[in-house]
Order: sequence, then C-alpha cells, then structure tokens
Amino acid sequence: MDTQTYPLNALTQRPMAMYHSWDSQNAWLRQIHTHNYLFVNPRTAEANGFGDGDWIWIESPINKVRCMARFSEAVEPGTVWTWNAIGKAAGSWGLSPKANESQKGFLLNHVISEELPPCEAGEHMSNSDPVTGQAAWFDVRVRIYPAEAGEPEVTSPQFKPQKRVPGQDPKRGKWQAFVAGAFRKKAKIQE
Amino acid sequence: MTQLALVIDLNVCVGCHACVTSCKEWNTSGWAGPLTDQRPYDADPTGVFFNRVQTYEAGVFPNTETYHFPKSCLHCEDPPCVPVCPTGASYKREDNGVVLVDYDKCIGCKYCSWACPYGAREFDEQQKVMKKCTLCIDRITDMSLPESERKPACVLACPTRARIYGDIHDPDSEVSVAIREQGGYPLQPEWGTKPSNHYLPRRKTRIQIHEDELVRVDNPLKKEALPTLPEAGETLDDVAW
Repeated sequence: MDTQTYPLNALTQRPMAMYHSWDSQNAWLRQIHTHNYLFVNPRTAEANGFGDGDWIWIESPINKVRCMARFSEAVEPGTVWTWNAIGKAAGSWGLSPKANESQKGFLLNHVISEELPPCEAGEHMSNSDPVTGQAAWFDVRVRIYPAEAGEPEVTSPQFKPQKRVPGQDPKRGKWQAFVAGAFRKKAKIQE
Repeated sequence: MTQLALVIDLNVCVGCHACVTSCKEWNTSGWAGPLTDQRPYDADPTGVFFNRVQTYEAGVFPNTETYHFPKSCLHCEDPPCVPVCPTGASYKREDNGVVLVDYDKCIGCKYCSWACPYGAREFDEQQKVMKKCTLCIDRITDMSLPESERKPACVLACPTRARIYGDIHDPDSEVSVAIREQGGYPLQPEWGTKPSNHYLPRRKTRIQIHEDELVRVDNPLKKEALPTLPEAGETLDDVAW
C-alpha cells in the first residue's frame, strides 16, 4: 500500500438515531438524517484545497466516490469518516429516485475492496477477518481532493433508479383503463 | 403555583433522538396532533417536530467536545408568545404553567414564532396553525394513567435518563434539587422570559488513579504468596477504581 499517495485513514460509523439501513427510510427518521457528509478536520481540508460543504472526491486504490465535506474538529487530521447508513441507491427502499439519500448521501463501500491486494498468501484473499469473517472496514487508505468546478452536484457513483416493486404504486381499477393516461398522471404513477 | 418543566442533563445526552421520535409518536396521534410531514419519501422531507436535537462541536482538536442539545418549548414563566397572539389562541395554563395553543382559535399569523427567542414554535404547513410542545399535556393530566406514566413521552423514552420532569416551584422536587445542586441554568435569561426548562451543564470527568490503586487488594497472586507482578506489567485485571 502506497501510504504517500493515500495518506488518510477512512472510517465509518453509525449515527445515533439509526442503525444500518434498517428502517431508515422511515418518514420521521429520514427527517433527522437525509444525507451524510465526509467529516474532515479543517486542517486536512485546507491542505487539500477545499472548504466546508464543498463537493470532493474520496479515492482509494480501487475506486472513488464524490461526496460533500463537513468540517469537524472532533476528527483526527489523519482520518476522515462518515455515517455509513444513510446513502442509498436511487429508487431503493421505497424512496423517490430524487430522495436526498441517493443524490447527496453516499456509501463508502465503493472504495473498499472485497479482496486484499495479491500477496505471498494468494491471489484472491478475502478482505475480512480470518477468524470471524467480519468484513474489514477500518484499514481503508484514501486521498481526498476537491471536485472540478463544472461537475454535477450529486454524489457519484450514480446508478439507474431501481424498479418499483409490485404493490408500491397506487392501485388502478380496470374501468380507468380507457382514460389511463389521465389517471396515471393523477395517481402520480411513474413510467 | 405549580410550574411544570423539564430539566435536561447535557452531560449524559448522547444524541440518540429517542425523545424526538417518541414525542412525535405520542403527539401525532394525541391531543396536539397530527404532526404533519411534507414530502416524507421524496427530496428534502420536512415536518412538524415538537422536540429536536441539535448537535454541535466546541473547541479545537484534540480538545474537542461534541454537544447534543435537545430543544423544545421552554414553557417560560413570562412567555413572549402569549401577549402577541391576536386571537388569544396562545395561552399559559394557570394551574400548571404549561404554554399551549388552541388550534381552533389560531389563524396561523406566526406572530408567536417571531416573538419566541428560542425558535420553539412549529408551523404546520398543512393545517396552517401553529403547534408546539405541550409537555404531553394529555399524558401528564390523565388521571387514568398510573402515576409513574404521568410524564411526558420524551422523559419516559430517554435511555440515559438525561431528562427529568417536575415542578420547579416546589423546592423539594427532583428538578429543583437537580437545578440547585448541579448548576442548572436557563437559556438566554437576558430576554427576561424566565424559561422554566433548565439545562444541566457538561462536567469534566477525569479518572484519577494512584499507584497503589493499580494493584488489586485481593489479587490471588498475593494470597498464595506467589511472586508479585513485575512493576510495569499491570493488566486491566489489576486496576481497581
């Protein structure tokens, strides 16, 4: 691992109000946290040339994620962290594809490798604890830099919105079929 | 006169929002409900909450502290939101000092939210009336409930017992004792509103361990007259405090 290129440790935590993604699509809980930030010490941010609330890239050897930075004096300058329970794929968890969770929230999972770099022990070693099988999270090395001026102000990567599952859309009676277009619009049924 | 109030201990609040959700759960279906939501599953959801927790940081790394600050109506003894109300919808109860809004009289002019220096008022965009913390008036005055449950929902929900409820005019009540003995303070007393809710300050807690405390008195190695542990080799097991 080139610690000169990737000088920072990246950690994840849960916010106190919810655990994992379980039920965080709840109408009240998502008003408490609709999206997450990458918490960065102001000194680290200054050295990397971005400000509080700016769009930045966080990059590990395998992938990169675009997200928003939030200054925090409660984080050690060599570490960045975020809540890893808020970000969701567009349209997932029954939320609208425009929900903040998918547009401003992000998951750090994209920068974490499933496998260790090839070493003497083997080509495909799982990036997990050998005894318990618990996925390794806390040894991710990253670098951060500001997003370009013209980049869209949404998190990256973005995926095609998930299809709505049966039962999620309002039911439409058969008799409405002959004016289907009008009723689809009224019932806010999306294509 | 009785003045019911909350005392919130900032030293133990961990910011879990259990008070926020339990408040909404009780009040949305109770006397003061509904607490409506806008765009609940879409972009930028918002809604009415009687109780909110704000989190902020103080200090510079490494001497940083994170504060979780639960905020709701302070049920002021001289509430500025009451005299500004043009319809008399906003009132303070004579018997227990709780500040309430009569939704039937409220015309949604928002004068009270301009007058409140604490931002405690919550305007319902759907019903177009002003709402606020009622101190769970439909719980605390419900004589059909056992006395242990005649408390606001947030107090019953708090897992760290950071919220205490009682009469601040009774010098022997739990809240009065806490304010007196733990330095409880009101918010922005310079406004002359005499807030009833008080906050207990953060305290610095440091563990003080002396050398002799690092060796356990009942260390089994001692009892069996075995050689004592090496000087630098104390384990967590040997620590007693």
